[in-house]
Amino acid sequence: MVPMEYYLLLSAAVFCIGVFGVLTRRSALMFLMSVELMLNAAGINLVAFSWFHGNLSGQAFTLFVMALAAAEVAVGLGIILTLYRNFDDIDVTNATTMRW
Amino acid sequence: MTELPPLTPQLVLAATALVVFGIDTLSPDDDTNTLLAGVATTGTLLSAGIAAWFLSAGTGDFSFVQFDGALVVDALSLFFAFVVGTVATLVVVASHDYLADQEHVAEFYSLTLLAATGMSLMASANSLVTVFISLELASIPSYVLVSYLKTNRGSVEAGLKYFLVGALSSAIMVYGISLIYAATGVMGLAPIAETFGNGVEFVGVLGLGIVMLVAGFAFKTASVPFHFWAPEAYEGAPAPVSAFISSASKAAGFAVLFRVFTTAFPLEVIAGSVVDWSLLFAALAVVTMTLGNFAAATQENVKRMLAYSSVGHAGYVLIGLAALQSGGGAENSFVLGASMMHLLVYGFMNTGAFLFVALAEYWGVGRTFEDYNGLAERAPVACVAMTVFMFSLAGLPVGGGFLSKYVLFAGAVQSGFAWLAAVAAINSALSLFYYSRVVKAIWIEDPSDDLALTGQPTGLYVAVLAAAVGTVALLVAFDPVAQTANHAADVLFQL
Repeated sequence: MVPMEYYLLLSAAVFCIGVFGVLTRRSALMFLMSVELMLNAAGINLVAFSWFHGNLSGQAFTLFVMALAAAEVAVGLGIILTLYRNFDDIDVTNATTMRW
Repeated sequence: MTELPPLTPQLVLAATALVVFGIDTLSPDDDTNTLLAGVATTGTLLSAGIAAWFLSAGTGDFSFVQFDGALVVDALSLFFAFVVGTVATLVVVASHDYLADQEHVAEFYSLTLLAATGMSLMASANSLVTVFISLELASIPSYVLVSYLKTNRGSVEAGLKYFLVGALSSAIMVYGISLIYAATGVMGLAPIAETFGNGVEFVGVLGLGIVMLVAGFAFKTASVPFHFWAPEAYEGAPAPVSAFISSASKAAGFAVLFRVFTTAFPLEVIAGSVVDWSLLFAALAVVTMTLGNFAAATQENVKRMLAYSSVGHAGYVLIGLAALQSGGGAENSFVLGASMMHLLVYGFMNTGAFLFVALAEYWGVGRTFEDYNGLAERAPVACVAMTVFMFSLAGLPVGGGFLSKYVLFAGAVQSGFAWLAAVAAINSALSLFYYSRVVKAIWIEDPSDDLALTGQPTGLYVAVLAAAVGTVALLVAFDPVAQTANHAADVLFQL
């Protein structure tokens, strides 16, 4: 049996890769992929601990998270498309018509 | 006699959204703006009305648990269903004129209704699963609504930034939920609290999970450290959408925040062993209100000033959680009730202020303070309403904002957080400076010669005036609201 700490470490590593990607990448598409990694890190935790605790609510929630991630990406891609049409680029640091 | 299901306000909103889609499918080419606005207004009014009726009929005196504990209907959820329904009504009525020349009107109304459904459900969410799903149901349509003007660079940029921060914070939040599940093995809010009965296990994992959960709520309520989307999104979005997100979405975010932290993580158990979240919220409240008010004072753009003022108000409302103390009893429900009252009053005065900006955009007036110079000579009625909103937001006794702020600060003092009330009072005094700049511009400054207002925006006028009447009425008839809010807090604390 794999100790539960390993699952926590794996998910923390995947989550941190996602955070790194969010902070360093300028392309909106890379941003979406990084967020996806973060969501899937949560999925690893949920499934592993669903088995550990012996109930299914974690696994069921993972299905919901995946569906919601897909919905979020659909809307996100739409916004990125309009971004490209207006700014001719998907670099998230380019869209700066407003400044404080 | 048949009984309505306790979730009727939410069901009505969702059904109306589908009806709007249906009408658009049947006649996609006709100009159905008025019909769609009428249907949407009926739905939101009905939802708010049913929530108010349920509240007065005493449906909220007990917790109606729905779907095996996933959702709950009590006084808190009905109170916020009413707030969301009212704000959505004002926004839909105002959108009728704002959208007159736009395409895809039906999508706008139905996305507004779907987002309102999500916000209404957030107040009922009773398990971390439904918390997350209802939060996403409110967020995803909001991203689209913010970037609705898809050929306008400001709107697209606002939508992008809102989406980026929203996606990031919801990913952090769901990771937090997975850690809480890892530590407790359950998702329901009440069952989570029950697992602490035998002592708290996995303290580190649980504590980290709770802190990450706060990220999602901080985004929804535009609090520090997830506030920086707010000025951009509110400035770039169509003004009715800014009104909707800054009022209804914030109220719903606070509703779910109140329920999660008081039900799942009782301060008595958590504060000593895991993380003292009332201290965390006290720090967030101070930083949020100070940053919001100081940044608002430096703005030249009215919409952006309102955005930062909205961040500042999130700070005031956070006092309701910061001033909770273990074993507080009546003091706890007093200060939490005060936060809820402030959110209701804020729903009227802030929505009204953003809808006045929508009116100015409709007339083609610019966006800075100077552009508003002398508006009162051309549109005195709307400017009286705007003056009421501004002074009520600042906390002067012309609107309900005075009483709700007073009760909130008094509640903080009563719970032994006089320093928090003092910081809030100083901030409130500062806010008078930038709110009165708007009043000075519209009443005292002279208009430029070419300032001419064309068009008959009946819907916008009706919405702005209704919000103004609501704001003033809450000053006169504050008692029933205060009693309802305190009662809702009592039910939440099971007093």
